[in-house]
Amino acid sequence: MIRRGLGMIAARAIATAAVRAAATALTLAVAAALTPATLVAAGALAVASRRTWEPRRLFVAAAWCAPMVMVWLAATATGSAGWLGAATAPYHAWPTFWHLVGSGAYLRAAARVAPAAIPLGLAGAGLAWSYRTRTVGAGAGGRSPASSVALDQRQWRNQVRAAKARIAAPGSVPLTMRGDLIAAGAVIRTVGHRAGPLATIGYERMRSHQVVIGTTGTGKTTLLLRLWAAYLATGLRRQAAGCGAAPLIVVLDCKGGASARRVADRYRRLMREAGARSVAVWPDEASLSLWSLPPRKLTTTLVDLIEHGTGSAAYYADVMEALVALAVEAPCGPPTSAADLLARLEPGWLALAYAASGTAADQAMIRSASRQLGDVALRFRTLFRRLGDGLDGPGSFGDAEAWYCILEGTDQIPVAEGQARALVDLLASFAVSGGGEREILLAVDEFSAVSRRLPIFTLYERARSLGLSVQVSAQSWQGLAATQDERYRISAAAEGGIWLLRTPHPEPVAGLAGTRKAIETTRALGRLGGWSRRGSSRLHDEPIVDLGLIRRLDTGQVAYIHGGGVTYVQIKRPVAAPAAVRGPVVAATGAVESLAGAVPAVFVPLPAPAAVPSAVPGMARPPDISPVLDAAFGPEVP
Amino acid sequence: MIPADATPDAWPAARLDQAAGLVFVGEMYGVQVDLLALVLGTSQRRASAVAGRWCDAGSAQAATLGPGPRWVWLTKAGLATSGLPYAPAVPGLSRLAHLRAVTAVRLALAAAPQFAAGGAHWRSERRIRSRIGGRIGLREHVPDAEVHWPDGTALAWAGECWAIEAELTPKTVARTAGIMRELLARTGDYGCRPADVLVPGAPPRHARAVYVCSAAARPVLMKGRALLGDLGARVEIRSLPGSALLPAPGRPAGPADRR
Repeated sequence: MIRRGLGMIAARAIATAAVRAAATALTLAVAAALTPATLVAAGALAVASRRTWEPRRLFVAAAWCAPMVMVWLAATATGSAGWLGAATAPYHAWPTFWHLVGSGAYLRAAARVAPAAIPLGLAGAGLAWSYRTRTVGAGAGGRSPASSVALDQRQWRNQVRAAKARIAAPGSVPLTMRGDLIAAGAVIRTVGHRAGPLATIGYERMRSHQVVIGTTGTGKTTLLLRLWAAYLATGLRRQAAGCGAAPLIVVLDCKGGASARRVADRYRRLMREAGARSVAVWPDEASLSLWSLPPRKLTTTLVDLIEHGTGSAAYYADVMEALVALAVEAPCGPPTSAADLLARLEPGWLALAYAASGTAADQAMIRSASRQLGDVALRFRTLFRRLGDGLDGPGSFGDAEAWYCILEGTDQIPVAEGQARALVDLLASFAVSGGGEREILLAVDEFSAVSRRLPIFTLYERARSLGLSVQVSAQSWQGLAATQDERYRISAAAEGGIWLLRTPHPEPVAGLAGTRKAIETTRALGRLGGWSRRGSSRLHDEPIVDLGLIRRLDTGQVAYIHGGGVTYVQIKRPVAAPAAVRGPVVAATGAVESLAGAVPAVFVPLPAPAAVPSAVPGMARPPDISPVLDAAFGPEVP
Repeated sequence: MIPADATPDAWPAARLDQAAGLVFVGEMYGVQVDLLALVLGTSQRRASAVAGRWCDAGSAQAATLGPGPRWVWLTKAGLATSGLPYAPAVPGLSRLAHLRAVTAVRLALAAAPQFAAGGAHWRSERRIRSRIGGRIGLREHVPDAEVHWPDGTALAWAGECWAIEAELTPKTVARTAGIMRELLARTGDYGCRPADVLVPGAPPRHARAVYVCSAAARPVLMKGRALLGDLGARVEIRSLPGSALLPAPGRPAGPADRR
């Protein structure tokens, strides 16, 4: 019985092997008979594998051979063979090929069979490549289930190499493209997004909120600089074409220090290259005036700049707010400087200011709260000393097209928090008051340094109506905001997409991209320890974003998540003009150029905006040029 | 206006010697032999012979790229000889019709008596593009040519710079209006510092935008100009000369062919 069973097993194994050998032999025979097509297919497969093409590309290449085939068939039909000969030409090409090869006419043989062999080979390669990628990707192909991992890694390496080659050539990745597209770099891989050589996003996407997450040294600054320069260039071009308002970029670098100054210099040069006429670095070279805020808003901002406790401290907060309101909204007008405000926080000044036109309630308030006025003044004196004179004017966001605000968030966190709060309030006020109809992008870099007291998600939710878009960048998911709820609110409102660079904890952000249906295959172990072809497949939900890939991203690689898809991008580093040499500063006109000739050494505010003239200045009406045009082209046809 | 069946005698201002003809060809990317004949003020047969001599000298190449007579374009050696700092390139098939139209517009304008009287200068798109050079990839619209009218002449428009556009096919009205506005708002030269491209208060670079168009493109141009409001007063729209269109396959290109 046992011998019989063993015999059956052996017979089955032999039969299986024989069938496989016969199938292999048949395949080889067909491949040999179709040698030219086989060679084309092998070459196409090698190229597709090397360059990680999509199978569709091979099918398209085969389809592009159609004109050649049509010409060949037409030539055959118009010859002596007639239409019947044309119909059988693809078949007769092969015997003719072998006949010519046998007689040593290799070139003639290749030329004779090429019209049939090339499209056939390309289509065959497309089918084989499609089968290979699909089966291995689903875990059903390859020697073992791990083949899919190996194939994926090999494809990734090839895709990265191809993307790096694409961005290496100068001018290969323009900053902006037709259709108001902003090019970030070369596409490495896409999932759920349309594939293409360059990774581009629409200008309108940049006009929505965005989130950028990546640890230090991953290329975050390079990506941001590229996006900002492209945003400005596109905005200026749209403005020139009458399709939009003038762009304004305000960057809050909440890290501070020497590195922020280096980035600021690069930012200035890049923005000038992108077309900005005036770039301001705050507070080093330009200032803003907190006192330009509307009185009520100024009161709120000033009170919020002071950190309050909770519980019983709320009482003192209310007292402070009441006193600041009295000082700011005095009948003589709001204060114009920090010194002016401090001068007002004295009982004598308030009593005098409200003596003539103040109400009884105001007088009562001044009398009852006069004991606290000294303490309130002390707190504001300390605050203004910390903030420095960067917010004490003069100046407004309308003075430049690109602002780079350096906040010392690394060593003076409370100061940076106060400055960030004041700058955001100033910008919101600028946007509300019209801001000269500007398309504003507020970029907050290293947001974690100020996230504790900067309620940016509230700005997020009402910003679009103000013509303001917000771009928040942080080193990690935790750095986005103080609480998990706030982080999700910020990320969920990022309609412009999320840029995810290498980070050790990508799960929350990756989860926002969602999942897709994928095939998962189990395979059984064979008798000899190898993996058999038997198993089962099932559909399952797979994350769109590959978490392992995010953790392994190299410097300069980023995943752009948007609309339930992800595009992995090799960022193209924007190159600006050489570093400016600090030249002789200051002239009466203010228009001072550095010795390098490319970048002004000092901040020069923009002149007042002017409309495009309908006539050349100095001429009431443009002169009539119809004589020359009539002579050249004839009169204008109505 | 130069009629479509004009003889070379009708192009006095356009007549150039062979050396200047070589520069003309280089500036225009490439020229068809029938238009080259008009440029040189000779017959098409003699223009073909001149082109052949240029080809023999290695200064040019000639080939039938599309309908009508052969195209002539300069080689690297020809561009170097002419002192033109351009990269050599064969005229692209997709641009042949446009290149011919621009050449015809240039010839028609140059034939107007005011062109010579005003000492006007045609600055070709190829020259403008060569000035833009290696700027970071900013996309800006480049006109098909500029015409500079020097100061100091009796012409009312002396001192002006015009942007010339040859339009064969219609674009969308919004895009057309956008291009017109961009041309008219520009203040800096092409290749200038980006910050100088659009300086409020500075005089515009182009006093006019002259559109020379086909019948198909005319309605869109008219609508685009209307969208500009007062600014539209600086936009002129005229019809392309008859010689601007590529001849239909199998038909002679024009009167010069028959010579």
